[in-house]
Amino acid sequence: MRDGLSELPPIRDPQSGADHAGDGLKYDLQGIGALAVNPLGDRIINAFFREGEEFTDFRAFMRVLARFRPVEEGKSKETGYPEPMNSRLSKLQFAFQLYDQDSDGKISRAEMLQVLRLMVGIQVTDEQLACIADRTIQEADQDGDGAISFEEFATSVEKLNIEQRMSLRMLK
Amino acid sequence: MQARRGRRVPSLRALPFLFIVAALLGLLPLLHSHGLQHMLTSEPPYRDPAVLSAIEPGDVTAAPPDVSQEIRPLTNHSSPGHSKPRKAFPVLGIDYTHVRIPFEISLWILLACLMKLGFHVIPSVSNIVPESCLLIVVGLLVGGLIKGVGESPPILKSDIFFLFLLPPIILDAGYFLPLRQFTENLGTILIFAVVGTLWNAFFLGGLMYAVCQISGTGLNHIGLLANLLFGSIISAVDPVAVLAVFEEIHINELLHILVFGESLLNDAVTVVLYHLFEEYANFDQVTVTDIVLGFLSFFVVSLGGVFVGVVYGVIAAFTSRFTSHIRVIEPLFVFLYSYMAYLSAELFHLSGIMALIASGVVMRPYVEANISHKSHTTIKYFLKMWSSVSETLIFIFLGVSTVAGQHYWNWTFVISTLIFCLIARVLGVLGLTWFINKFRIVKLTPKDQFIIAYGGLRGAIAFSLGYLLDYEHFGMRDMFLTAIITVIFFTVFVQGMTIRPLVDLLAVKKKQETKRSINEEIHTQFLDHLLTGIEDICGHYGHHHWKDKLNRFNKKYMKKCLIAGERSKEPQLIAFYHKMEMKQAIELVESGGLGKIPSAISTVSMQNINPKALPVERILPALSKDKEEEIRKILRNNLQKTRQRLRSYNRHTLVADPYEEAWNQMLLRRQKARQLEQKMNNFLTVPSHKLDSPTMSRARIGSDPLAYEPKSDSENLPIITIDPASPQSPESVDLVNEELKGMSRLPPSPEEEEEEGLVMHVKESSSPGTDDVFTPGAGDSPSNQRMMRCLSDPGPRPDPEEGEPFIPKGQ
Repeated sequence: MRDGLSELPPIRDPQSGADHAGDGLKYDLQGIGALAVNPLGDRIINAFFREGEEFTDFRAFMRVLARFRPVEEGKSKETGYPEPMNSRLSKLQFAFQLYDQDSDGKISRAEMLQVLRLMVGIQVTDEQLACIADRTIQEADQDGDGAISFEEFATSVEKLNIEQRMSLRMLK
Repeated sequence: MQARRGRRVPSLRALPFLFIVAALLGLLPLLHSHGLQHMLTSEPPYRDPAVLSAIEPGDVTAAPPDVSQEIRPLTNHSSPGHSKPRKAFPVLGIDYTHVRIPFEISLWILLACLMKLGFHVIPSVSNIVPESCLLIVVGLLVGGLIKGVGESPPILKSDIFFLFLLPPIILDAGYFLPLRQFTENLGTILIFAVVGTLWNAFFLGGLMYAVCQISGTGLNHIGLLANLLFGSIISAVDPVAVLAVFEEIHINELLHILVFGESLLNDAVTVVLYHLFEEYANFDQVTVTDIVLGFLSFFVVSLGGVFVGVVYGVIAAFTSRFTSHIRVIEPLFVFLYSYMAYLSAELFHLSGIMALIASGVVMRPYVEANISHKSHTTIKYFLKMWSSVSETLIFIFLGVSTVAGQHYWNWTFVISTLIFCLIARVLGVLGLTWFINKFRIVKLTPKDQFIIAYGGLRGAIAFSLGYLLDYEHFGMRDMFLTAIITVIFFTVFVQGMTIRPLVDLLAVKKKQETKRSINEEIHTQFLDHLLTGIEDICGHYGHHHWKDKLNRFNKKYMKKCLIAGERSKEPQLIAFYHKMEMKQAIELVESGGLGKIPSAISTVSMQNINPKALPVERILPALSKDKEEEIRKILRNNLQKTRQRLRSYNRHTLVADPYEEAWNQMLLRRQKARQLEQKMNNFLTVPSHKLDSPTMSRARIGSDPLAYEPKSDSENLPIITIDPASPQSPESVDLVNEELKGMSRLPPSPEEEEEEGLVMHVKESSSPGTDDVFTPGAGDSPSNQRMMRCLSDPGPRPDPEEGEPFIPKGQ
């Protein structure tokens, strides 16, 4: 089965560093069948690539995957060190970025509608989706600006077990 | 004030005690007569008629029928020609044998319910002592009372326990199992259930054998296998006890599901071990083949049980697809199929508990999509009711059986059993957690481990399994039973009572009581998709990948077969949203929020519209208190009359409840009002959107969010219309009439609509196109009309004629 990692054999070798031969191609990632069926497939792929670029290198690829490492318990919270990439906060930031496509720091109603439309499919009417989107924003919005900021997003998912949900065991 | 309160309180407090005493006293004459009847029937059949007639009037017994039968052969002797002696016609007679069994069963159940009632009236006691302990104490009391009367109290027979008392509890647990947490922690749960129980059984059995070998205890005759059998009986964590105790302490969901899941899944292990050791306990050797066969049998028992459950679950889901015409018996299908699954599994010596859980889990999503809201409520309440009563009865009977049974107390055996049980549990949990934490993403902390170890309660299943042993093969059965009861008492009383303060002391996370919000649902699905995508990129077939595959399979094949009608295509998010809205609407109605719909809507939108051009719909303003009372009075009177005018009562069809009608309308109204408000906000701040064909296409597809409601025959029943405001003012909504009117209107032609662009059809009705996914009855016309009106420029060109475009073309 074609998967992302097998598409990038030459650059899996850490010594080779970043080189053009065998760079990760967006086109290849889009060719993964399972991702095409995934409602969020495009957004996920775009997360690996910087704005408008068609190529990504190993480091950027790994940077994204690092977010999904399981959280290490018991590590003392060292202030002054940069936030580790797999902490709860970083995971939440990554998820937030996937919602917030225009990177304005808020999930607007239109963005929420887009995500809902992706996840729900074609059966549902716009009006129903609008109801749901409005309801969602109404629930989460605490400062009344009609959009969900990062803090509000973090509050609304605090009951979900993010550390467990957004971690892949094989990445330990 | 104080004095009055003081006087009232003691009488209230006395009430439950009176209940209890009355219930117990009620048993006495029953048993007295029961005892006497035994006496009578044991006497020789031929007796002196004189003696019989002397007994007859005096005793309140069931003697008369027996006596009259016995008299006949005697009197045939003495006076041929007469069949019966002539006595006065009995105006009042007593015939107890006729109703004896149901009467006694009902009395026991009534006792159980009164106990439950009593405990809740006296809150102070139930805060300290968990209910299960109190019930056992009550059982002890009742057992003592019965014994004091001279009767032998009933023992909890294993048949009754396994066939009647246990299934409701397990079904309740399985049907409402929180599936997401269960599957996420399935590996952990399985390891605890299987490996943990095996460890407990062998550790305990082995140690007890060692103890038995010690000379001087008089236990030398108990062989290794008998000890292992004992170990396997006592090592299983009991779901009933765990449920009873954990329900009250509201611990966080992870721990709850771990301990509870373990108690459910260890049934398979217990069944296999029990049968294995029981078979071979008398032969002192177990060959390798036996062990291998036992190992195989474990897989057969557990997987077979699950398979049976799944089959019955699918059949139940399929049946529920066709029940839309006979809603009243829908709950019965759920109960019967699940019970059959349990019995079928027990038939083949498979694990009945796993079958029951599997059938509940499998049938639930499909059945809930098919059945009406009322049936769903019925199922929920019946399951809760049965499981509650069952649990109470089990604990009471445990108490009674303690008094009733023959005991053989051997200090060494019992005390060592107790100690080794605790040690085995602690060691098992510690060792397994160390192993499991290597594989878990979120590790189990020592606090969690303590609670898991402490929550390993034993209960009635152990007792019943011990009771099943027969005397000829197991002479030490009484000693086993005594030890089992001691362990049960210890775990339930000591551990049950102390777990709550310990939970508070250790500051273990408690369950969060808030309901699931739409936000969480959306984000959960979002994260699922995200993780599945990442897993696909890595090429790693993890947890999410398989879950996604299962979901796709479910959507593609299962839902089509098993869910009736249009709901098979409804996405999960939408179903969740509907459920939430429904719950909120019901809450709103129940809390009496009838008049809270904002009146701002009416002032803004309706001003600009010519009253004459106004369609049938208007909006409810905020009502004053007296008007509300008036409305309620009108409703009450009219609804009563309506009930008499309805069709004759037919047992097979549920007459649509007028109250449900009111609820539906409340839901509609609320939704429209909210939509309208939103649209108004949009309109006021944002200039009119361009909406041409999206509007039309929306209208065409039909946006009834209530499509899943059971289709009530609103056409046939007279419907009450509420019209509080005067007809002239444009300010009252009359949705109902408009339903009827809307349906009779002819649809405009499609080409016309397209050409005109944004057209305000004042009386719009069902769409011309036939790709309506839902029947566009109730909600379509008003919502679309209002929406269209609000979203467009409401510059009023007063148009006297209905049916013409509200806004002329070109604007």
